[in-house]
Amino acid sequence: MRRFFALIVGVAILLTACNNNDDPGTIVQDPGNLNLVFENTVNGTSLDMAPTTYTNSSDETYTVNELKYIISNITLIKTDNTEYIYPVEDSYFLINEDGSKTANLSNIPADTYKGIKFGFGVDPTKYPIESGTLNFIPLAEEAGMLWTWSAGYKFLKFEGGYANATDPTNETPFLYHVGSHGANLDNYKEITLMLNEFGINSENTASKTIQFDVAKIFDSVHTLSLEEKNEIMVDPVNAPKIAENTSTAFSISE
Amino acid sequence: MKIAHYFILILFCWSCSSDSSDGDAITPTDDDTPMTVTNPLLDFTVPSNFPDATYSIAQNPPTEKGFELGKKLFYDGQLASDGVVSCGFCHIQSFSFTHHTHITSHGVDGQIGTRNAQPLHNLAFMNEFTWDGAATFLDTQPIIPITAEVEMNETVSNVISKLSADDDYPTLFAEAFGSEGVNADRLFKALSQFMVMMVSANSKFDKLERGESVTFTDEENAGMAIFDAKCASCHAGTLQTDQSYRNNGLPIDPQYNDIGRERVTGLPDDNRKFKVPSLRNIEITFPYMHDGRLGTLENVLDFYTDGMVDSPTLDDQFRRPDGTLGLDITAEEKGQLIAFLKTLTDNDFIEDRRFAEF
Repeated sequence: MRRFFALIVGVAILLTACNNNDDPGTIVQDPGNLNLVFENTVNGTSLDMAPTTYTNSSDETYTVNELKYIISNITLIKTDNTEYIYPVEDSYFLINEDGSKTANLSNIPADTYKGIKFGFGVDPTKYPIESGTLNFIPLAEEAGMLWTWSAGYKFLKFEGGYANATDPTNETPFLYHVGSHGANLDNYKEITLMLNEFGINSENTASKTIQFDVAKIFDSVHTLSLEEKNEIMVDPVNAPKIAENTSTAFSISE
Repeated sequence: MKIAHYFILILFCWSCSSDSSDGDAITPTDDDTPMTVTNPLLDFTVPSNFPDATYSIAQNPPTEKGFELGKKLFYDGQLASDGVVSCGFCHIQSFSFTHHTHITSHGVDGQIGTRNAQPLHNLAFMNEFTWDGAATFLDTQPIIPITAEVEMNETVSNVISKLSADDDYPTLFAEAFGSEGVNADRLFKALSQFMVMMVSANSKFDKLERGESVTFTDEENAGMAIFDAKCASCHAGTLQTDQSYRNNGLPIDPQYNDIGRERVTGLPDDNRKFKVPSLRNIEITFPYMHDGRLGTLENVLDFYTDGMVDSPTLDDQFRRPDGTLGLDITAEEKGQLIAFLKTLTDNDFIEDRRFAEF
């Protein structure tokens, strides 16, 4: 009988431990959802695919045929500066200009938040060790986001055509594929965006639009000229520059 | 009574987990009936003369059902587009999981690869995989042969579809992982569970290292002394590899023009470098080199003394003071070295029924 009583107490403790709320005074709210919508832009206006042309700072005109990138490891920053880490195995998203551009996050603790952290690419320390991250492979594979000879992800696939401003009709294809190079070079980047405080609760699904400025792939921390190099794949010099530029391309305007 | 208490507590712990993924949490299937299938953990033991495992056994502990599933997958042609070329097609146990008559790997529709299938043993102790280190985790290595056009020429998505529609696999996946669901994570983890158990540590060399009751012949001892002096700087330690990438001076084969590790890193310094292979079971894993160009151990040693060509990334250890290339090993010493290399053969491993296809 005594043992049975101990069991009841034990179960009660476990049940309490299950409850995320340590303060018995506050009302526990049900978790809510957040949609992160990625909008690809060029210098502030929505990206149009080819044949619309844009100009980079190297005075080259370019068109975009394909733009895909991987977003992962999403963390939300609460107003008290504590963080909610979204379940890693569910936090891999492919953003495709010609497909899905939304990361739908569900079951987020009701709270007030003020920032979002996420990864560009796939963190080599979490891949593929954490349970479930390998489940992103079929989606990435179908989107052509795996290297063909190597067991790793392409973080960015950006392809199109370009021409020199003096001869704009003579278009040459370009191709930027950026990922990590085995264990040798890590192009994963972490991005933090602060925004106005917003609440997440079960009443309505919050939505935030994150802008990705395509022009920054060429021109940001580094300047990349397509005439100098129009095919960047496993390139230990230029791929890190693209990754660095790309990490500055995300912003939230409210 | 006590056991029942624990069981109830375990159920409560499960219900605490807030895992929202598609069936990855270890929860009982369907209703409240607990899983009736028992799935004991397998004993993965690091041999006493080995370094620590690099594979995270704690993250994917091999179980009886997981291992059996991994083994079935390893020998299943459904992982290839033609339904025939399984992993075991190129990785044959009696050759320590490589292939003898194929110089480079063979794939679907009679296609020929560009590299020699590597033996599979002691994978739980390796940092990176394949000749150029293109896979940084054992769990992701199978992506390469599955998707390579000249190997299994399949997609991971298609493999998952085929396995999901199979009569047996959905049940086997559920038994191995404790809940319903055929997915990529489980596919690769099951393959890893099978592969990490492939520990080869019972050669005469191992027994000597562990102080078990074996003695080397004079010839084997002499060979070991030469090996330690002239080979062990790269083929280092118990695993017989320092796991680095090096250019050993093989003449470039224009048929393949293989740039080696440069393909992975993009670094010109890595041009023509390949992983230093473990020499375990070397006697039975011919042909040799990344492209299988050398058929015998005698050929290999002759290459190391007289066959090298220079190139900018050639390993400095092969440069003699007089400017010529190669190692100094006499004909007599070659015989002794080969006698030593044969002590690395582990017959228990290649005859181990646990890994056998049939």
